[in-house]
Amino acid sequence: MQIEVTTVQKSFGQAVVLQDLSIKAKAGAILGLLGPSGAGKTTLIRLLNGSLRPDHGTIKVEGDAFPNRTAQRQIGYMPQHDAVYLDLSGIDNLLFFGHIYGLKTKYMRRRIGEVLEFVGLQHDATKIVGNYSGGMRKRLSLAIALLHEPAILLLDEPTVGIDPVLRQAIWQHFDELRNQGKTLIVSTHVMDEATRCQDVALLYNGKLIEHDTVPNLLAKTPDGQMESLFFMAKAGELQ
Amino acid sequence: MKGIIVRIIHQMKNDRRTLALMVIAPLMILTLLFFLLSESDYRPLITVDSSVPPQLVDELQRQQADIIVLDSALDWTDDSVQPFAVDQQLLDGDADALLRMDQEGLHIRVLETDGTKLGKITAVLKSALAELNPAAGMSISQVYGSSDDTLFDSLAYVLLGLLSFFFVFIIAGISFVRERDTGTLERLMISPIRRVSVVGGYTIGYGIFTILQSILMIAYSHYVLGLDVVGSIPLSIFVMVLLAFSAVSSGALVSIFANNEFQVMQFIPIVIIPQYFFSGLIAIDTLPYGLGKIAYIMPVFYGCTALKEIMIKGNGLADIWFQLIGLVTINLLLFTLNVFALKKYRQL
Repeated sequence: MQIEVTTVQKSFGQAVVLQDLSIKAKAGAILGLLGPSGAGKTTLIRLLNGSLRPDHGTIKVEGDAFPNRTAQRQIGYMPQHDAVYLDLSGIDNLLFFGHIYGLKTKYMRRRIGEVLEFVGLQHDATKIVGNYSGGMRKRLSLAIALLHEPAILLLDEPTVGIDPVLRQAIWQHFDELRNQGKTLIVSTHVMDEATRCQDVALLYNGKLIEHDTVPNLLAKTPDGQMESLFFMAKAGELQ
Repeated sequence: MKGIIVRIIHQMKNDRRTLALMVIAPLMILTLLFFLLSESDYRPLITVDSSVPPQLVDELQRQQADIIVLDSALDWTDDSVQPFAVDQQLLDGDADALLRMDQEGLHIRVLETDGTKLGKITAVLKSALAELNPAAGMSISQVYGSSDDTLFDSLAYVLLGLLSFFFVFIIAGISFVRERDTGTLERLMISPIRRVSVVGGYTIGYGIFTILQSILMIAYSHYVLGLDVVGSIPLSIFVMVLLAFSAVSSGALVSIFANNEFQVMQFIPIVIIPQYFFSGLIAIDTLPYGLGKIAYIMPVFYGCTALKEIMIKGNGLADIWFQLIGLVTINLLLFTLNVFALKKYRQL
């Protein structure tokens, strides 16, 4: 599904968090949101999942104004903090969110099996999540986001606090999902993760400073390092 | 809605400590209060001096008291020699009361106005005097309860209502604030679930445990602690459950104004403590400036008043309809406020 954000502005009280932001994401591709903490990545993702509304500007999903019920159902969201119930088992977490999305029992059972296998938690599903490691909680959170087979995946810093091996595995999951034709938007502040995306949007102080394919972006840097673009923005060198 | 109810049941099952706080802790506190507020086999120790006539001394010795008779005189009239020498006996615990007599009548000196002890001492004196002079006797009969009711019997309805409200409020409030804190509420609110189902699921989910709590509290008070319930036990449980439902909704509502568990706790002095005073512990119809009217916004007031009608006066549905309507109205109001408050988290 295609997402189109046009001249969006969002403020909290006096603080302008996103300013005149336009961005596009297409099916079968990963859009990376790259930027330091406080750049507005999470706010943008929360505008895209429908829990916030822009002050100005429009968001369209497949050409229709968002939020709307049809599009919101197609969204899988993985928040920055593992939003899982610690006092439930992994499978009870999935059953709960399955119920909330109104999945039919037979389909839900099948999907729970699939997502558990996808994130490699099939042997730990009956354990209480409070006893999970940090990485396992992240993977369960991803499984919950995938459960209702959404066409759009919004992943807010999915690899923060994750060891390199698991990070590699998670990005492999993202590639698989991309190959299934899903639209992925992944926020990160790790530069080398950006190179695994098809398109990257660089956010700095609530403004979009660049939005292009990875090779094009790297061509704009003097040293082939993505972070140079931020230093250049900071120095006001970029048009 | 079913999903949320099932989830809460699973969470409670996995978190035994919370379940115990809701179900076992009130029973423990009830037991403690039962012993604190019950009649003990306390016998006052009264020192009588030589000014008291021997007939009265004889009569006192036949009462439930230990009497020490002095052949000297006790005196605590000369203010210039304070503290009185005789007080040492009271301070040392050698006597609970000193007794002397002159033309003005009997004089009693005690250490402090301790309700239970002083009550027992005056009761002993009263019945001894009545034996000597039946015309001076005084007997009190009451419409509700019986004269040998303990403080526990006459206050149980307050304790049941307050304890239940307190524990349910804390658990529901913290559970809801945690939902926001961990981000699971955001996940819920971007899903297709309706806001009414979220609040309804919460109320019924915790409601199931409040039913268990209410049944246990009433049954334990009646069958184990021997509390006399004059009216219908099922009706008492029904009132307790209605009150507990309002505690769930109050907890959920304050959690909207709290950012973490600690801030939920900060609402206890605002939400719970004032309700203690309007629960029947203090007679509110004597309050100045119409302050008693505040009671009408307090669920504990309706709950405890209804419990008193049933448990002490033996009244039925016909006599508590006002309280029931009050409780139901508060519940509906809180429910609506909670559904409305969730709007903050959803744009559709």
